[in-house]
Amino acid sequence: MNLFVFIQENLSMTLFLTWEHIWLVGMSLIIAMCTGVPIGIIITKNKELANKVIGGANVIMTIPSIALFGLMLPILAIVGHGLGKVPAIIALVLYSLLPIIRNTYIAIKNVDPAIVDAGRGMGMTKWQLLREVEIPLAIPVILAGLKTAAVMNIGIAAIAAYIGAGGLGVFIQQGIARSHEAMILTGALAVSLLAIIVDLTMSLLEKLVTPRGLKL
Amino acid sequence: MIEYDSVTKVFGIGKKAVTATDNVTFTIDKGETAVFLGPSGCGKTTMLRMTNRLESITRGSIKVNGQDIMDMNPQKLRLTMGYVIQQIGLFPNKTIAGNIAIVPRMLGWNKEKIRARVDELLNMVKLDPEIYRDRYPVELSGGQQQRIGVARGLAANPDILLMDEPFGAIDPINRDQIQDEFLKLQAKLKKTIAFVSHDIHEAIKMADKIAIFKDGKLVQYDSPESILMRPANKFVSDFVGADRALKVLGLLRIRDAMNLSPKNLVQAGTDAPQVLKMMEDRGMKFAFVLKDNKPVGYVSPKLLKYEQGKVEDLVERFPEELGTREPLRDALSAMLMHDMIDFPVMDDNGDFAGSISYKNIQKSILELYYEDQDG
Repeated sequence: MNLFVFIQENLSMTLFLTWEHIWLVGMSLIIAMCTGVPIGIIITKNKELANKVIGGANVIMTIPSIALFGLMLPILAIVGHGLGKVPAIIALVLYSLLPIIRNTYIAIKNVDPAIVDAGRGMGMTKWQLLREVEIPLAIPVILAGLKTAAVMNIGIAAIAAYIGAGGLGVFIQQGIARSHEAMILTGALAVSLLAIIVDLTMSLLEKLVTPRGLKL
Repeated sequence: MIEYDSVTKVFGIGKKAVTATDNVTFTIDKGETAVFLGPSGCGKTTMLRMTNRLESITRGSIKVNGQDIMDMNPQKLRLTMGYVIQQIGLFPNKTIAGNIAIVPRMLGWNKEKIRARVDELLNMVKLDPEIYRDRYPVELSGGQQQRIGVARGLAANPDILLMDEPFGAIDPINRDQIQDEFLKLQAKLKKTIAFVSHDIHEAIKMADKIAIFKDGKLVQYDSPESILMRPANKFVSDFVGADRALKVLGLLRIRDAMNLSPKNLVQAGTDAPQVLKMMEDRGMKFAFVLKDNKPVGYVSPKLLKYEQGKVEDLVERFPEELGTREPLRDALSAMLMHDMIDFPVMDDNGDFAGSISYKNIQKSILELYYEDQDG
């Protein structure tokens, strides 16, 4: 098999590109989580703002990734980062925001109003309510949003190879350019495998962080 | 003590403004239960929610133990009041113990004290701590969950309890039971309670005072007996129902109406012919037979005719035993069921305390009805 021979001969390269891919996706996911979750929580207090924010994130989602890279190029070129990892991560963060914000918003909104009323009536502050009830109850749904974002970004990151961001997309892109079937396949299989593994791991994590009282 | 002074609440502004409560003034005395009663939309829940500042007050003031609630931090104010709602609102991610411990934890109690208090409260609401402490709310039935809701409200031993239709979502059989348990608890704890209800039966059962609301106005604030027998207007009398006299029967105790020294008593050892003669002379239809001051049964002239022995061997047993603490409703029910118009009443030791007849019942109802029409 050509494929195995290729992987054997380029093992360190394969591993390096896989690591680069994971780094791109992981980095963007962390940034998106740190911004998206607080945004999702804040907009639960204001319905109008929520509609605007989620609507805006929806618009970003509809822009094809290759077009987004193209759009950012002239802007980021001003600060000398038109190509490479910076635009890739910015794009990945933007794409992740919608599922993360939307899921956080819905999860917090879906907490039974009676629970919130009881908590407030007992003298809990908004922050205590968030920390002790709303967030623990919302975490499984927030994680589901993170999972959607992660799996989607593994695919989009493969395209980021075209703007020189590295990652497994490099194999696919160069393989196509050289008509090197084994190289294309290696890249494609590795990206798919990565997506499946991430999906399974995050599903498992989702189960683990679901509060016990909700599983019974 | 909770003092409502000209409390007005207006939701919205301009043309859309809705007055939820309109210039309401009344006082809930310390240790008393006031039930806020009325149809939905009458302002009773808004009244309750203003008491712990979940709703703001548009005009007027509410004082708790003499202190204006607007001068207090809302969170601190709420920590001093138990809050129990119909939907219960237990935190599903916390265990039963965790739910009960919410307020004590916010007050900074240490772990040992919280643990002991949780167990004490579980015992108080008749749920075994060993079994329920570490369970989650979803594992409990609705009635059990509301017991936890009540325990959670009582957790930090507040002077005041605010209860918004707390037993409204529980099935009728369990509701009756949990109401009874709560009454027993309240007899010991003597909390000052504001209790919202739309159910006249519940109000009569739970209240020391009933506040009847209509369209945001307080229509009448009085004891259940007075509300039933002397409704302030047609709205109140319609609301309490045409059977209000029957409802009063559930409130009054036999001891309030019974005849303490009935004449138709005979001792167990008396000879039958002697009793028969006495009964015929006085035209008695029947007499209670007492032995060691305990009622053993009754005799009638028909039973004694042609008999020679002692009356105690000839008695008919009473089909039902009535105690001084039982409601008049039970006495009337016994009379209707067994076609008897007079029953002996026993005190807590089973000794004869008096008798209750249909006439006694009617008299006590009429007394209530006419009480302030004289004055």
